[in-house]
Amino acid sequence: AAGGPKPLPSSGPKSLREMPHPLATTSSEEMGPALTPSPDLLLPRSIADKDLSLPNGTPVDTSSPASSSSLLNRLQLDDDFDGETRDLFVTVDDPKKHVCTMETYITYRVTTKTTRAEFDLPEYSVRRRYQDFDWLRNKLEESQPTHLIPPLPEKFVVKGVVDRFSEEFVETRRKALDKFLKRITDHPVLSFNEHFNVFLTAKDLNAYKKQGMALLSKMGESVKYVTGGYKLRSRPLEFAAIGEYLDTFSLKLGTIDRIAQRIIKEQLEYLVELREYGPVYSTWGGLEVELSEPLEGVSACIGNCCTALEELSEEMTEDFLPVLREYILYSESMKNVLKKRDQVQAEYEAKLEAVALKKEDRPKVPTDVEKCQDRVECFNADLKADMERWQNNKRQDFRQLLMGMADKNIQYYEKCLTAWESIIPLLQDKPETK
Amino acid sequence: MEDCLAKKMEITVSEAEKRTGRNAMNMQETYTAYLIETRAVETQSEGQCAPVDSLWRRYSEFELLRSYLSVTYPHIVVPPLPEKRADFVWHKLSADNMDPDFVERRRIGLENFLLRVASHPVLCQDKIFYSFLTQEAGWKEVVNETGFQLKADSRLKALNATFRVKNPDKRFTELKHYSDELQSVISHLLRVRARVADRLYGVYKVHGNYGRVFSEWSAIEKEMGDGLQSAGHHMDVYAASIDDILEEEEHYADQLKEYLFYAEALRAVCRKHELMQYDLEMAAQDLTTKKQQCEELATGTVRTFSLKGMTSKLFGQETPEQREAKIKVLEEQIQEGEEQLKSKNLEGRDFVKSAWADIERFKEQKNHDLKEALISYAVMQISMCKKGIQVWTNAKECFSKM
Repeated sequence: AAGGPKPLPSSGPKSLREMPHPLATTSSEEMGPALTPSPDLLLPRSIADKDLSLPNGTPVDTSSPASSSSLLNRLQLDDDFDGETRDLFVTVDDPKKHVCTMETYITYRVTTKTTRAEFDLPEYSVRRRYQDFDWLRNKLEESQPTHLIPPLPEKFVVKGVVDRFSEEFVETRRKALDKFLKRITDHPVLSFNEHFNVFLTAKDLNAYKKQGMALLSKMGESVKYVTGGYKLRSRPLEFAAIGEYLDTFSLKLGTIDRIAQRIIKEQLEYLVELREYGPVYSTWGGLEVELSEPLEGVSACIGNCCTALEELSEEMTEDFLPVLREYILYSESMKNVLKKRDQVQAEYEAKLEAVALKKEDRPKVPTDVEKCQDRVECFNADLKADMERWQNNKRQDFRQLLMGMADKNIQYYEKCLTAWESIIPLLQDKPETK
Repeated sequence: MEDCLAKKMEITVSEAEKRTGRNAMNMQETYTAYLIETRAVETQSEGQCAPVDSLWRRYSEFELLRSYLSVTYPHIVVPPLPEKRADFVWHKLSADNMDPDFVERRRIGLENFLLRVASHPVLCQDKIFYSFLTQEAGWKEVVNETGFQLKADSRLKALNATFRVKNPDKRFTELKHYSDELQSVISHLLRVRARVADRLYGVYKVHGNYGRVFSEWSAIEKEMGDGLQSAGHHMDVYAASIDDILEEEEHYADQLKEYLFYAEALRAVCRKHELMQYDLEMAAQDLTTKKQQCEELATGTVRTFSLKGMTSKLFGQETPEQREAKIKVLEEQIQEGEEQLKSKNLEGRDFVKSAWADIERFKEQKNHDLKEALISYAVMQISMCKKGIQVWTNAKECFSKM
């Protein structure tokens, strides 16, 4: 059986200030055009970075991002490039454990490359912890309430059940955080959000957080003051349809999550029995003479199948389930945005009604009712655009997810097939031919 | 296998039928009867097949036949019958003897038994076996008339011999040890295999749930709908495929079971040797004692303590005539004993020789059969893997169209 969760190497207490500025390092000079780090570097599978060295044997410092010249080689983003010229690239990688007197936590390196004018520099590398992502998300929800904000992986982890510092857990979280930032990056409005900018660039994010006086977008400011006292009579058809869709969608995902978990459970129980089954053939082989090798062969074969099955279950747990859960969280937050939209519309309708009841012959509609109408229309437009984008991304994400699931199963069966096919000649072997 | 019956006669157990009848205690019972069909093998095809003979037999008659063969040919590793009751079942299979799947597998097992006997160089020539195949009425009486039950060794006697024999042939001791281990390991294997089958069934069946939920999900999707729906169908196919896979595996389990039971037959031969050897040792011991007694009487010296000796000391010596008579009796007994010992020795040696010959035959058969069984098991696994790859590849294609 594979070993239990591995603890990360600890980096010791280090403030963000101590992180070298990317352009200040000499690594970009050391690395000649001949050497391009593999794309794997961006999303390392193991904490121990691969050792790279130049042809002359000098080890390459891979803790900082590579120079811009190898940018396009390194970055392998989503297939849906859409032919757009992207001008903002963000990646989350390199988790490190920090052990301080008060607490222990993980930080992730967030790397940004951009040509946008909103950014002072073309490259940034900062370290962020989960708290910081959570802060960012809250800020985005506050400041862009008419948009769908991508979900974060779950905040609270039951201690004792899951090891927060195991390689597997950290890697799963890293992938989710990376996805989170990429979704924001892809969004035409959210990616220009000021908080997002600060998140990507600030050396000392905590100082900025304390300020709390960041500019809100006009929309955010106005929506912030909407009280929840208004009740919507009826949701417009298209938003009702979205609401219904999300309800059924998250229900189905929940079911799929349960089924997937059940399958993993059954597979692990099957594995337990297989692990007892294989060795019995070996024991039998010990009793026999001519049948010794064939029986040993079958035993080894079953052992290989066990390994393959273990890998399948692990992969499903680490790659499949988290994405499902992410989408369930996404649906939940989207439903909340729908509710907010309802409130904005309700306020508008209430104010409109109030004006109508006053029966004054006002030549024009009062400005604050106009403002409400604006708000409703903007909200509806933003939401519709985001929904469309979301639907498209969802389709691609699930296509990839489910194809991935099929792939993992195919690989499992191929490994088993190879194992069994390879012992056929062993079983058919006649003693005289040996 | 030059002249074995199997070459001259086609034997099949072609059908099984439920019957009701009255048993020995005149109580109504339900049992299964099996149809045995036999036909002479034509050496040249003449366009016309020989007629098929058939008769019905029930399991207890097979048991009687096997008992008879075991007693009559103790030096032969007699082929075993398929299990009387369903054992090593995993949850989906029924443990009920009347269950059609069990009856079917038993039918195959009984046919296999008959073919094994018919291909055995010694057993195939047995007349009782022949009449079992051909004589429906009165067969039971014919078997019982052979009086084989009287020749059967009591189990107590056999057990006694096992513990007390001093010089059994080492090869038989090793063989008995081997058959014990073989029985233990195959039992273990069958038990775990049943659990493995159970678990595998669970894994496959749960995938069927994907079929339903994908279908439901596809109803609310526009572009993704078709891909999801058709992928769901493949998940249903996947879930259903396990039934045939595990059904096939039962045949493999049955092949292992045959050799589990063969281990018992092997042990029986070893026990017979121990019994004969013990018998021999006892006879030799008895002879030695008698010779000693004779010597003591003749020479007057008492070498061993005996009650006789004590009583004669207490109550006076016997007369020379009495002593002479005793010696004469003993000498007769000794002569008888020596002849018996000689024949027992000969019997023993013959037994060892013919038993070992059959054991060698059995070993070859076992190695061949088990190798074939392992190969067929590997082939089954390969087929299962290929089916899995096929289904998931189909599903992947459906997903790709989402």
